Amino acid sequence: MSPRSSAAPRALAGLLLAVVLALAGCAGKAPSSASASSGSSSGSPVAGKRIEVTVTHGKASGDTGRIRVPVGTPVTLVVTSDTADEVHLHGYDLEKELSPGKPTTLRFDATQTGVFEVELHEANVVIAHLQVS
Amino acid sequence: MTVLAHGVGTRTDLPIPIGLALFGAGAAILLTFSVLLLFWRTPRLGGGGSGRPLPPGAARVLDSPTFQRALQGLTLLVALFVIAAAFAGPSDTPHNLAPWVFYVTFWVGLVPASLLLGPVWRAINPLRLVHRALRLVVPKPRRAERLPALGLWPGAVALAAFLWLELVSPHRSDPVVVGAFLLGYGVVQVGCSLWFGEDWFAAGDGFEVYSSLIARLSPWGRRDDGRLVFRNPLASAIGTPEVSGLAAVVVVLLGSTAFDGLSRTVWWQSGPGADNSVLNGTLGMLAMIALVAAMYLTGTVLSGRLAGQQVAVQPRRYAATVIPIALGYTVAHYFSLFVLDGQTTWILASNPFGSPGVDLFGTYRNVLDLAAVSAGTIALVQVGAIIVGHVLGVTLAHERALLSARRARASDQLPLVIVMVLFTFGGLGLLFGF
Repeated sequence: MSPRSSAAPRALAGLLLAVVLALAGCAGKAPSSASASSGSSSGSPVAGKRIEVTVTHGKASGDTGRIRVPVGTPVTLVVTSDTADEVHLHGYDLEKELSPGKPTTLRFDATQTGVFEVELHEANVVIAHLQVS
Repeated sequence: MTVLAHGVGTRTDLPIPIGLALFGAGAAILLTFSVLLLFWRTPRLGGGGSGRPLPPGAARVLDSPTFQRALQGLTLLVALFVIAAAFAGPSDTPHNLAPWVFYVTFWVGLVPASLLLGPVWRAINPLRLVHRALRLVVPKPRRAERLPALGLWPGAVALAAFLWLELVSPHRSDPVVVGAFLLGYGVVQVGCSLWFGEDWFAAGDGFEVYSSLIARLSPWGRRDDGRLVFRNPLASAIGTPEVSGLAAVVVVLLGSTAFDGLSRTVWWQSGPGADNSVLNGTLGMLAMIALVAAMYLTGTVLSGRLAGQQVAVQPRRYAATVIPIALGYTVAHYFSLFVLDGQTTWILASNPFGSPGVDLFGTYRNVLDLAAVSAGTIALVQVGAIIVGHVLGVTLAHERALLSARRARASDQLPLVIVMVLFTFGGLGLLFGF
Protein backbone atom coordinates (compact mmCIF):
# COMPACT_ATOMS: atom_id res chain seq x y z
CA MET A 1 0.00 0.00 0.00
CA SER A 2 1.24 3.49 -0.71
CA PRO A 3 1.87 5.73 2.29
CA ARG A 4 -0.32 8.49 0.91
CA SER A 5 -3.44 6.42 1.44
CA SER A 6 -3.31 6.73 5.21
CA ALA A 7 -3.84 10.48 5.33
CA ALA A 8 -7.01 10.41 3.25
CA PRO A 9 -8.91 8.04 5.53
CA ARG A 10 -8.01 10.10 8.56
CA ALA A 11 -9.30 13.26 6.95
CA LEU A 12 -12.37 11.34 5.89
CA ALA A 13 -12.96 10.05 9.39
CA GLY A 14 -12.85 13.60 10.73
CA LEU A 15 -15.27 14.73 8.08
CA LEU A 16 -17.69 11.91 8.82
CA LEU A 17 -17.62 12.57 12.53
CA ALA A 18 -18.41 16.19 11.78
CA VAL A 19 -21.40 15.02 9.77
CA VAL A 20 -22.61 12.92 12.69
CA LEU A 21 -22.27 15.78 15.09
CA ALA A 22 -24.12 18.07 12.74
CA LEU A 23 -26.86 15.48 12.48
CA ALA A 24 -27.00 15.19 16.23
CA GLY A 25 -27.22 18.96 16.49
CA CYS A 26 -30.22 18.99 14.18
CA ALA A 27 -31.84 16.26 16.16
CA GLY A 28 -31.50 18.23 19.36
CA LYS A 29 -33.59 20.96 17.82
CA ALA A 30 -36.37 18.59 16.75
CA PRO A 31 -39.79 20.13 17.16
CA SER A 32 -40.84 19.70 20.74
CA SER A 33 -44.54 19.82 20.27
CA ALA A 34 -44.69 18.32 23.72
CA SER A 35 -44.88 21.67 25.45
CA ALA A 36 -47.95 20.88 27.44
CA SER A 37 -51.09 22.84 27.91
CA SER A 38 -50.12 22.65 31.55
CA GLY A 39 -52.66 25.20 32.64
CA SER A 40 -54.95 22.66 34.16
CA SER A 41 -58.22 24.30 33.36
CA SER A 42 -60.21 21.56 35.04
CA GLY A 43 -59.45 23.04 38.43
CA SER A 44 -58.10 19.95 40.16
CA PRO A 45 -54.30 20.04 40.61
CA VAL A 46 -53.35 17.25 38.19
CA ALA A 47 -49.73 16.15 38.49
CA GLY A 48 -48.95 14.64 35.13
CA LYS A 49 -49.55 15.31 31.51
CA ARG A 50 -52.68 16.70 29.99
CA ILE A 51 -53.14 16.34 26.24
CA GLU A 52 -56.02 18.08 24.51
CA VAL A 53 -56.93 17.47 20.89
CA THR A 54 -59.85 18.83 18.89
CA VAL A 55 -60.87 17.23 15.60
CA THR A 56 -62.83 19.29 13.08
CA HIS A 57 -63.64 18.03 9.58
CA GLY A 58 -61.17 15.19 10.03
CA LYS A 59 -58.34 17.57 10.95
CA ALA A 60 -56.73 17.42 14.36
CA SER A 61 -55.59 20.53 16.20
CA GLY A 62 -54.19 21.19 19.67
CA ASP A 63 -51.57 18.86 21.15
CA THR A 64 -50.94 16.91 17.96
CA GLY A 65 -47.69 15.54 16.60
CA ARG A 66 -45.20 13.76 18.85
CA ILE A 67 -46.03 14.14 22.53
CA ARG A 68 -43.18 13.16 24.86
CA VAL A 69 -43.88 11.99 28.39
CA PRO A 70 -41.54 10.31 30.90
CA VAL A 71 -42.43 6.74 31.80
CA GLY A 72 -44.78 6.49 34.77
CA THR A 73 -46.52 9.81 34.14
CA PRO A 74 -50.27 9.87 34.72
CA VAL A 75 -51.71 11.05 31.41
CA THR A 76 -55.06 12.72 30.78
CA LEU A 77 -56.06 12.67 27.12
CA VAL A 78 -59.03 14.85 26.22
CA VAL A 79 -60.45 14.48 22.71
CA THR A 80 -63.25 16.51 21.19
CA SER A 81 -64.57 15.59 17.75
CA ASP A 82 -67.23 17.30 15.65
CA THR A 83 -68.60 13.91 14.63
CA ALA A 84 -69.34 10.68 16.43
CA ASP A 85 -66.18 8.61 16.48
CA GLU A 86 -64.02 6.30 18.53
CA VAL A 87 -60.61 7.17 19.92
CA HIS A 88 -58.02 4.41 20.19
CA LEU A 89 -54.65 4.52 21.93
CA HIS A 90 -52.60 1.69 20.42
CA GLY A 91 -50.37 -0.48 22.58
CA TYR A 92 -52.22 0.48 25.76
CA ASP A 93 -55.30 -0.61 23.83
CA LEU A 94 -57.61 1.97 25.31
CA GLU A 95 -60.76 2.84 23.35
CA LYS A 96 -63.59 5.23 24.02
CA GLU A 97 -66.66 6.38 22.09
CA LEU A 98 -66.84 10.07 21.18
CA SER A 99 -70.10 12.01 20.92
CA PRO A 100 -70.13 15.02 18.60
CA GLY A 101 -68.81 18.16 20.30
CA LYS A 102 -68.44 16.55 23.70
CA PRO A 103 -64.95 16.39 25.27
CA THR A 104 -64.10 12.81 26.18
CA THR A 105 -61.35 11.94 28.64
CA LEU A 106 -59.00 8.95 28.74
CA ARG A 107 -56.91 8.60 31.88
CA PHE A 108 -54.01 6.19 32.17
CA ASP A 109 -50.50 5.81 33.54
CA ALA A 110 -47.81 5.82 30.85
CA THR A 111 -46.12 2.62 32.00
CA GLN A 112 -45.02 1.07 28.68
CA THR A 113 -42.16 2.60 26.75
CA GLY A 114 -42.27 3.15 23.00
CA VAL A 115 -44.08 5.35 20.50
CA PHE A 116 -47.83 4.78 20.29
CA GLU A 117 -50.47 6.09 17.90
CA VAL A 118 -53.60 7.87 19.07
CA GLU A 119 -56.12 7.26 16.32
CA LEU A 120 -59.72 8.08 15.46
CA HIS A 121 -61.32 5.04 13.85
CA GLU A 122 -64.14 6.64 11.85
CA ALA A 123 -62.23 9.66 10.58
CA ASN A 124 -59.26 7.34 9.99
CA VAL A 125 -56.73 9.89 11.25
CA VAL A 126 -53.80 9.65 13.62
CA ILE A 127 -54.24 12.63 15.93
CA ALA A 128 -51.00 12.27 17.90
CA HIS A 129 -48.05 10.01 18.65
CA LEU A 130 -47.43 9.39 22.31
CA GLN A 131 -43.74 8.87 23.05
CA VAL A 132 -43.13 7.30 26.46
CA SER A 133 -39.48 7.16 27.45
CA MET B 1 -57.77 1.26 10.69
CA THR B 2 -54.59 3.08 9.91
CA VAL B 3 -51.36 1.52 10.95
CA LEU B 4 -47.80 2.49 11.42
CA ALA B 5 -45.13 1.37 9.03
CA HIS B 6 -44.43 -2.29 8.44
CA GLY B 7 -47.89 -3.69 7.92
CA VAL B 8 -49.10 -4.19 11.46
CA GLY B 9 -48.03 -3.21 14.93
CA THR B 10 -49.16 -1.46 18.07
CA ARG B 11 -45.99 0.47 18.85
CA THR B 12 -42.74 1.68 17.38
CA ASP B 13 -39.38 1.98 19.02
CA LEU B 14 -38.14 4.99 20.90
CA PRO B 15 -35.46 7.01 19.14
CA ILE B 16 -32.03 5.75 20.18
CA PRO B 17 -30.23 8.01 22.68
CA ILE B 18 -27.58 10.45 21.43
CA GLY B 19 -24.82 8.63 23.32
CA LEU B 20 -25.51 5.35 21.56
CA ALA B 21 -25.76 7.06 18.17
CA LEU B 22 -22.38 8.75 18.57
CA PHE B 23 -20.79 5.62 19.97
CA GLY B 24 -22.16 3.62 17.04
CA ALA B 25 -20.88 6.09 14.49
CA GLY B 26 -17.44 6.27 16.10
CA ALA B 27 -17.16 2.50 16.39
CA ALA B 28 -18.18 2.04 12.76
CA ILE B 29 -15.47 4.40 11.51
CA LEU B 30 -12.75 3.03 13.76
CA LEU B 31 -13.50 -0.59 12.91
CA THR B 32 -13.74 0.16 9.21
CA PHE B 33 -10.31 1.66 9.01
CA SER B 34 -8.81 -1.00 11.25
CA VAL B 35 -10.08 -3.66 8.88
CA LEU B 36 -8.99 -1.74 5.81
CA LEU B 37 -5.60 -0.44 6.75
CA LEU B 38 -4.15 -2.51 9.54
CA PHE B 39 -5.21 -6.10 9.04
CA TRP B 40 -6.26 -8.33 6.24
CA ARG B 41 -3.78 -7.58 3.49
CA THR B 42 -4.31 -10.85 1.61
CA PRO B 43 -7.51 -12.77 0.83
CA ARG B 44 -8.36 -14.88 3.86
CA LEU B 45 -11.78 -16.38 3.36
CA GLY B 46 -12.10 -19.89 1.96
CA GLY B 47 -13.43 -20.25 -1.55
CA GLY B 48 -16.23 -22.36 -2.95
CA GLY B 49 -14.33 -25.52 -2.03
CA SER B 50 -14.14 -24.79 1.69
CA GLY B 51 -16.29 -26.20 4.48
CA ARG B 52 -16.74 -29.36 6.53
CA PRO B 53 -19.24 -31.77 4.93
CA LEU B 54 -22.33 -32.85 6.83
CA PRO B 55 -22.63 -36.54 7.74
CA PRO B 56 -23.76 -38.33 4.54
CA GLY B 57 -26.96 -39.61 6.16
CA ALA B 58 -28.09 -36.14 7.25
CA ALA B 59 -27.23 -34.64 3.86
CA ARG B 60 -29.18 -37.39 2.08
CA VAL B 61 -32.31 -36.74 4.14
CA LEU B 62 -32.10 -32.95 3.78
CA ASP B 63 -31.57 -33.16 0.03
CA SER B 64 -34.16 -35.87 -0.60
CA PRO B 65 -37.12 -34.73 -2.73
CA THR B 66 -39.54 -36.73 -0.57
CA PHE B 67 -38.47 -34.89 2.57
CA GLN B 68 -38.76 -31.51 0.86
CA ARG B 69 -42.15 -32.31 -0.72
CA ALA B 70 -43.45 -33.36 2.70
CA LEU B 71 -42.34 -30.05 4.21
CA GLN B 72 -43.81 -28.14 1.28
CA GLY B 73 -47.11 -29.97 1.80
CA LEU B 74 -47.09 -28.92 5.44
CA THR B 75 -46.40 -25.28 4.58
CA LEU B 76 -49.12 -25.38 1.94
CA LEU B 77 -51.65 -26.54 4.56
CA VAL B 78 -50.60 -23.74 6.92
CA ALA B 79 -50.78 -21.18 4.10
CA LEU B 80 -54.26 -22.29 3.04
CA PHE B 81 -55.37 -22.19 6.66
CA VAL B 82 -54.07 -18.64 7.08
CA ILE B 83 -55.80 -17.55 3.85
CA ALA B 84 -59.04 -19.11 5.09
CA ALA B 85 -58.64 -17.22 8.38
CA ALA B 86 -58.02 -14.01 6.44
CA PHE B 87 -61.36 -14.28 4.65
CA ALA B 88 -63.50 -16.12 7.21
CA GLY B 89 -61.97 -14.95 10.48
CA PRO B 90 -62.79 -11.75 12.41
CA SER B 91 -62.69 -8.72 10.11
CA ASP B 92 -60.78 -6.46 12.50
CA THR B 93 -57.00 -6.66 12.32
CA PRO B 94 -56.29 -6.99 16.06
CA HIS B 95 -58.29 -10.23 16.13
CA ASN B 96 -57.40 -11.71 12.76
CA LEU B 97 -54.53 -14.14 12.55
CA ALA B 98 -53.56 -13.52 8.91
CA PRO B 99 -51.88 -10.08 9.02
CA TRP B 100 -49.82 -11.04 12.06
CA VAL B 101 -48.71 -14.38 10.63
CA PHE B 102 -47.84 -12.84 7.28
CA TYR B 103 -46.16 -9.54 8.21
CA VAL B 104 -44.55 -10.53 11.48
CA THR B 105 -44.12 -14.27 11.92
CA PHE B 106 -43.44 -15.11 8.27
CA TRP B 107 -41.77 -12.04 6.81
CA VAL B 108 -39.71 -11.07 9.84
CA GLY B 109 -39.28 -14.66 11.01
CA LEU B 110 -37.81 -15.60 7.64
CA VAL B 111 -34.67 -13.67 8.65
CA PRO B 112 -33.66 -15.64 11.78
CA ALA B 113 -34.85 -18.88 10.16
CA SER B 114 -32.66 -18.38 7.10
CA LEU B 115 -29.74 -17.12 9.15
CA LEU B 116 -29.77 -20.18 11.38
CA LEU B 117 -30.94 -22.91 9.00
CA GLY B 118 -29.90 -21.78 5.53
CA PRO B 119 -32.17 -21.24 2.52
CA VAL B 120 -35.26 -22.63 4.25
CA TRP B 121 -37.92 -21.11 2.05
CA ARG B 122 -36.43 -22.82 -0.97
CA ALA B 123 -36.87 -26.17 0.79
CA ILE B 124 -40.39 -25.60 2.11
CA ASN B 125 -41.85 -23.21 -0.51
CA PRO B 126 -45.43 -24.46 -0.97
CA LEU B 127 -45.63 -22.93 -4.45
CA ARG B 128 -43.03 -25.44 -5.63
CA LEU B 129 -45.40 -28.23 -4.66
CA VAL B 130 -48.33 -26.57 -6.46
CA HIS B 131 -46.12 -26.16 -9.52
CA ARG B 132 -45.14 -29.82 -9.33
CA ALA B 133 -48.80 -30.87 -9.17
CA LEU B 134 -49.82 -28.66 -12.11
CA ARG B 135 -46.99 -30.10 -14.19
CA LEU B 136 -49.24 -33.14 -14.60
CA VAL B 137 -51.59 -30.92 -16.60
CA VAL B 138 -49.06 -28.62 -18.26
CA PRO B 139 -46.23 -30.95 -19.18
CA LYS B 140 -43.50 -28.60 -20.49
CA PRO B 141 -42.30 -25.11 -19.64
CA ARG B 142 -42.38 -23.04 -22.82
CA ARG B 143 -39.62 -20.55 -22.15
CA ALA B 144 -37.18 -22.22 -19.75
CA GLU B 145 -34.23 -21.11 -21.89
CA ARG B 146 -35.09 -17.44 -21.35
CA LEU B 147 -34.94 -17.62 -17.55
CA PRO B 148 -31.15 -17.25 -17.00
CA ALA B 149 -31.14 -13.97 -18.93
CA LEU B 150 -33.58 -12.45 -16.42
CA GLY B 151 -31.18 -13.00 -13.52
CA LEU B 152 -32.66 -11.97 -10.18
CA TRP B 153 -34.61 -9.04 -11.64
CA PRO B 154 -38.01 -10.78 -11.29
CA GLY B 155 -37.24 -11.41 -7.62
CA ALA B 156 -36.38 -7.75 -7.12
CA VAL B 157 -39.72 -6.77 -8.67
CA ALA B 158 -41.65 -9.28 -6.56
CA LEU B 159 -39.96 -8.02 -3.40
CA ALA B 160 -40.68 -4.41 -4.31
CA ALA B 161 -44.36 -5.30 -4.84
CA PHE B 162 -44.58 -6.97 -1.45
CA LEU B 163 -42.72 -4.15 0.27
CA TRP B 164 -45.06 -1.59 -1.25
CA LEU B 165 -48.00 -3.55 0.16
CA GLU B 166 -46.33 -3.77 3.56
CA LEU B 167 -45.09 -0.21 3.88
CA VAL B 168 -47.34 1.97 1.73
CA SER B 169 -50.65 0.51 0.57
CA PRO B 170 -53.59 2.06 2.40
CA HIS B 171 -55.36 -1.07 3.64
CA ARG B 172 -52.32 -3.22 4.23
CA SER B 173 -53.43 -4.47 7.63
CA ASP B 174 -56.91 -5.42 6.44
CA PRO B 175 -57.18 -9.24 6.69
CA VAL B 176 -59.01 -9.48 3.36
CA VAL B 177 -56.24 -7.51 1.61
CA VAL B 178 -53.65 -9.86 3.10
CA GLY B 179 -55.61 -12.91 1.97
CA ALA B 180 -56.10 -11.49 -1.53
CA PHE B 181 -52.41 -10.63 -1.81
CA LEU B 182 -51.38 -14.14 -0.79
CA LEU B 183 -53.73 -15.69 -3.37
CA GLY B 184 -52.74 -13.26 -6.12
CA TYR B 185 -49.04 -13.66 -5.38
CA GLY B 186 -49.36 -17.44 -5.50
CA VAL B 187 -51.26 -17.40 -8.80
CA VAL B 188 -48.75 -15.08 -10.51
CA GLN B 189 -45.74 -17.02 -9.21
CA VAL B 190 -47.12 -20.43 -10.17
CA GLY B 191 -48.17 -19.07 -13.57
CA CYS B 192 -44.63 -17.83 -14.21
CA SER B 193 -43.18 -21.13 -13.05
CA LEU B 194 -45.36 -23.02 -15.52
CA TRP B 195 -43.98 -20.77 -18.23
CA PHE B 196 -40.31 -20.78 -17.17
CA GLY B 197 -39.97 -24.04 -15.23
CA GLU B 198 -39.40 -24.75 -11.54
CA ASP B 199 -36.15 -22.77 -11.51
CA TRP B 200 -38.35 -19.68 -11.70
CA PHE B 201 -38.86 -19.71 -7.94
CA ALA B 202 -35.17 -19.25 -7.18
CA ALA B 203 -35.11 -16.19 -9.46
CA GLY B 204 -38.61 -14.73 -9.26
CA ASP B 205 -40.20 -15.61 -5.92
CA GLY B 206 -39.24 -12.63 -3.78
CA PHE B 207 -39.48 -14.58 -0.54
CA GLU B 208 -37.24 -17.35 -1.82
CA VAL B 209 -34.74 -14.83 -3.18
CA TYR B 210 -34.77 -13.03 0.18
CA SER B 211 -34.38 -16.18 2.23
CA SER B 212 -31.57 -17.54 0.01
CA LEU B 213 -29.75 -14.22 0.16
CA ILE B 214 -29.83 -14.10 3.97
CA ALA B 215 -28.86 -17.77 4.05
CA ARG B 216 -25.56 -16.70 2.49
CA LEU B 217 -24.71 -15.51 6.00
CA SER B 218 -25.76 -18.78 7.63
CA PRO B 219 -23.19 -21.41 8.65
CA TRP B 220 -24.56 -23.81 6.00
CA GLY B 221 -23.47 -23.85 2.40
CA ARG B 222 -23.07 -26.00 -0.65
CA ARG B 223 -19.56 -26.75 -1.75
CA ASP B 224 -18.37 -26.67 -5.35
CA ASP B 225 -18.74 -30.45 -5.46
CA GLY B 226 -22.41 -30.14 -4.48
CA ARG B 227 -22.04 -31.40 -0.90
CA LEU B 228 -23.79 -29.68 1.99
CA VAL B 229 -21.17 -28.20 4.27
CA PHE B 230 -20.76 -26.33 7.51
CA ARG B 231 -18.53 -23.32 6.90
CA ASN B 232 -17.59 -19.74 7.62
CA PRO B 233 -20.65 -17.64 6.66
CA LEU B 234 -18.41 -14.98 5.18
CA ALA B 235 -16.98 -17.54 2.75
CA SER B 236 -20.53 -18.32 1.59
CA ALA B 237 -21.35 -14.65 1.28
CA ILE B 238 -18.29 -13.86 -0.80
CA GLY B 239 -19.18 -16.82 -3.04
CA THR B 240 -22.62 -15.45 -3.93
CA PRO B 241 -22.96 -15.86 -7.70
CA GLU B 242 -22.62 -12.49 -9.47
CA VAL B 243 -25.97 -12.67 -11.23
CA SER B 244 -27.53 -9.65 -12.89
CA GLY B 245 -30.24 -8.20 -10.68
CA LEU B 246 -28.47 -9.18 -7.45
CA ALA B 247 -27.57 -5.57 -6.81
CA ALA B 248 -31.19 -4.58 -7.50
CA VAL B 249 -32.47 -7.02 -4.87
CA VAL B 250 -30.06 -5.71 -2.25
CA VAL B 251 -30.83 -2.09 -3.11
CA VAL B 252 -34.61 -2.67 -2.92
CA LEU B 253 -34.25 -4.30 0.50
CA LEU B 254 -31.98 -1.60 1.87
CA GLY B 255 -34.00 1.26 0.38
CA SER B 256 -37.35 0.02 1.61
CA THR B 257 -36.06 -0.62 5.13
CA ALA B 258 -34.64 2.89 5.08
CA PHE B 259 -38.11 4.14 4.09
CA ASP B 260 -39.61 2.15 6.96
CA GLY B 261 -37.22 3.99 9.26
CA LEU B 262 -37.94 7.33 7.62
CA SER B 263 -41.68 6.89 8.03
CA ARG B 264 -41.20 6.55 11.80
CA THR B 265 -39.44 9.86 12.19
CA VAL B 266 -41.09 12.96 13.59
CA TRP B 267 -40.15 14.75 10.37
CA TRP B 268 -42.07 12.31 8.18
CA GLN B 269 -45.02 11.92 10.51
CA SER B 270 -45.57 15.64 10.78
CA GLY B 271 -44.50 16.45 7.21
CA PRO B 272 -44.95 14.47 4.00
CA GLY B 273 -46.50 11.49 5.75
CA ALA B 274 -48.95 13.43 7.89
CA ASP B 275 -51.91 12.80 5.60
CA ASN B 276 -51.06 9.10 5.26
CA SER B 277 -51.50 9.37 1.49
CA VAL B 278 -50.60 6.60 -0.92
CA LEU B 279 -48.91 9.02 -3.30
CA ASN B 280 -46.51 10.44 -0.72
CA GLY B 281 -45.81 6.97 0.64
CA THR B 282 -45.07 5.58 -2.82
CA LEU B 283 -42.87 8.53 -3.72
CA GLY B 284 -41.08 8.29 -0.38
CA MET B 285 -40.34 4.61 -0.84
CA LEU B 286 -39.20 5.10 -4.44
CA ALA B 287 -37.03 8.04 -3.40
CA MET B 288 -35.29 6.01 -0.71
CA ILE B 289 -34.68 3.09 -3.10
CA ALA B 290 -33.39 5.52 -5.75
CA LEU B 291 -31.13 7.23 -3.21
CA VAL B 292 -29.64 3.93 -2.04
CA ALA B 293 -29.25 2.82 -5.67
CA ALA B 294 -27.50 6.04 -6.69
CA MET B 295 -25.12 5.90 -3.73
CA TYR B 296 -24.34 2.25 -4.27
CA LEU B 297 -23.75 2.62 -8.00
CA THR B 298 -21.54 5.66 -7.47
CA GLY B 299 -19.47 3.88 -4.83
CA THR B 300 -18.93 0.66 -6.76
CA VAL B 301 -18.30 2.32 -10.11
CA LEU B 302 -15.83 4.85 -8.69
CA SER B 303 -13.98 2.15 -6.78
CA GLY B 304 -13.81 0.06 -9.93
CA ARG B 305 -12.51 2.97 -11.93
CA LEU B 306 -9.80 3.78 -9.36
CA ALA B 307 -8.68 0.15 -9.46
CA GLY B 308 -8.68 0.23 -13.25
CA GLN B 309 -11.26 -2.53 -13.56
CA GLN B 310 -14.17 -3.04 -15.89
CA VAL B 311 -16.89 -0.75 -14.64
CA ALA B 312 -20.03 -2.57 -15.80
CA VAL B 313 -19.62 -5.62 -13.57
CA GLN B 314 -18.78 -3.65 -10.42
CA PRO B 315 -22.29 -3.24 -8.98
CA ARG B 316 -23.09 -6.94 -9.06
CA ARG B 317 -19.57 -7.91 -8.00
CA TYR B 318 -19.97 -6.06 -4.71
CA ALA B 319 -23.69 -6.67 -4.17
CA ALA B 320 -23.09 -9.59 -1.81
CA THR B 321 -21.01 -7.34 0.42
CA VAL B 322 -24.09 -5.22 1.11
CA ILE B 323 -26.08 -8.24 2.36
CA PRO B 324 -24.81 -7.86 5.96
CA ILE B 325 -25.61 -4.15 5.91
CA ALA B 326 -29.15 -4.82 4.68
CA LEU B 327 -29.45 -7.54 7.32
CA GLY B 328 -28.28 -5.15 10.04
CA TYR B 329 -30.92 -2.62 8.95
CA THR B 330 -33.58 -5.33 8.97
CA VAL B 331 -32.72 -6.55 12.47
CA ALA B 332 -32.60 -2.97 13.75
CA HIS B 333 -36.03 -2.18 12.36
CA TYR B 334 -37.92 -5.41 12.95
CA PHE B 335 -36.43 -6.95 16.09
CA SER B 336 -38.91 -5.38 18.50
CA LEU B 337 -41.85 -6.03 16.17
CA PHE B 338 -40.98 -9.73 16.14
CA VAL B 339 -40.53 -10.18 19.89
CA LEU B 340 -43.33 -7.85 21.01
CA ASP B 341 -46.14 -7.71 18.45
CA GLY B 342 -45.13 -11.17 17.23
CA GLN B 343 -46.76 -12.52 20.37
CA THR B 344 -50.12 -11.75 18.78
CA THR B 345 -49.71 -14.64 16.34
CA TRP B 346 -49.49 -17.14 19.17
CA ILE B 347 -52.42 -15.57 20.98
CA LEU B 348 -54.68 -15.58 17.91
CA ALA B 349 -53.57 -19.06 16.78
CA SER B 350 -55.70 -20.40 19.62
CA ASN B 351 -58.85 -19.04 18.02
CA PRO B 352 -58.22 -18.36 14.32
CA PHE B 353 -61.86 -17.90 13.35
CA GLY B 354 -62.92 -15.87 16.34
CA SER B 355 -65.46 -18.41 17.49
CA PRO B 356 -66.73 -17.87 21.02
CA GLY B 357 -65.28 -20.20 23.61
CA VAL B 358 -62.53 -21.63 21.40
CA ASP B 359 -59.05 -21.67 22.92
CA LEU B 360 -57.04 -24.39 21.16
CA PHE B 361 -53.66 -23.90 22.80
CA GLY B 362 -54.79 -22.08 25.93
CA THR B 363 -53.15 -18.84 24.82
CA TYR B 364 -56.17 -16.84 23.67
CA ARG B 365 -56.53 -15.04 26.98
CA ASN B 366 -52.88 -14.05 27.07
CA VAL B 367 -52.20 -10.35 26.85
CA LEU B 368 -49.49 -8.80 24.70
CA ASP B 369 -46.49 -8.18 26.96
CA LEU B 370 -44.95 -5.01 25.60
CA ALA B 371 -42.46 -4.95 28.46
CA ALA B 372 -40.93 -8.31 27.46
CA VAL B 373 -37.84 -6.48 26.20
CA SER B 374 -36.78 -3.17 27.71
CA ALA B 375 -36.30 -0.02 25.68
CA GLY B 376 -32.59 -0.08 26.54
CA THR B 377 -32.16 -3.60 25.20
CA ILE B 378 -33.97 -2.71 21.98
CA ALA B 379 -31.69 0.30 21.45
CA LEU B 380 -28.58 -1.81 22.05
CA VAL B 381 -29.74 -4.49 19.61
CA GLN B 382 -30.50 -1.81 17.01
CA VAL B 383 -27.13 -0.08 17.22
CA GLY B 384 -25.31 -3.41 17.54
CA ALA B 385 -27.02 -4.82 14.43
CA ILE B 386 -26.15 -1.78 12.35
CA ILE B 387 -22.49 -1.79 13.46
CA VAL B 388 -22.00 -5.54 13.03
CA GLY B 389 -23.65 -5.38 9.60
CA HIS B 390 -21.40 -2.47 8.69
CA VAL B 391 -18.20 -4.18 9.81
CA LEU B 392 -19.06 -7.42 7.99
CA GLY B 393 -19.96 -5.45 4.87
CA VAL B 394 -16.70 -3.52 4.85
CA THR B 395 -14.75 -6.71 5.53
CA LEU B 396 -16.45 -8.54 2.67
CA ALA B 397 -15.90 -5.65 0.28
CA HIS B 398 -12.24 -5.58 1.24
CA GLU B 399 -11.87 -9.31 0.63
CA ARG B 400 -13.74 -8.98 -2.64
CA ALA B 401 -11.34 -6.26 -3.79
CA LEU B 402 -8.30 -8.33 -2.81
CA LEU B 403 -9.72 -11.29 -4.73
CA SER B 404 -10.18 -9.31 -7.92
CA ALA B 405 -6.75 -7.64 -7.69
CA ARG B 406 -4.16 -9.06 -5.30
CA ARG B 407 -2.14 -5.89 -5.08
CA ALA B 408 -5.14 -3.62 -4.70
CA ARG B 409 -4.41 -0.37 -2.92
CA ALA B 410 -6.78 0.13 0.00
CA SER B 411 -7.40 3.66 -1.22
CA ASP B 412 -9.09 2.27 -4.34
CA GLN B 413 -11.88 1.03 -2.11
CA LEU B 414 -12.50 4.37 -0.47
CA PRO B 415 -15.54 5.39 -2.58
CA LEU B 416 -17.40 2.17 -1.75
CA VAL B 417 -16.30 2.34 1.88
CA ILE B 418 -17.54 5.92 2.13
CA VAL B 419 -20.89 4.81 0.74
CA MET B 420 -21.07 2.01 3.30
CA VAL B 421 -20.19 4.42 6.11
CA LEU B 422 -22.94 6.74 4.85
CA PHE B 423 -25.42 3.84 4.86
CA THR B 424 -24.46 3.20 8.47
CA PHE B 425 -24.85 6.85 9.41
CA GLY B 426 -28.16 6.96 7.57
CA GLY B 427 -29.29 3.87 9.47
CA LEU B 428 -28.23 5.33 12.82
CA GLY B 429 -29.73 8.70 11.91
CA LEU B 430 -33.10 7.15 11.11
CA LEU B 431 -33.01 5.22 14.38
CA PHE B 432 -32.18 8.47 16.10
CA GLY B 433 -35.45 9.69 14.64
CA PHE B 434 -34.60 13.26 13.84
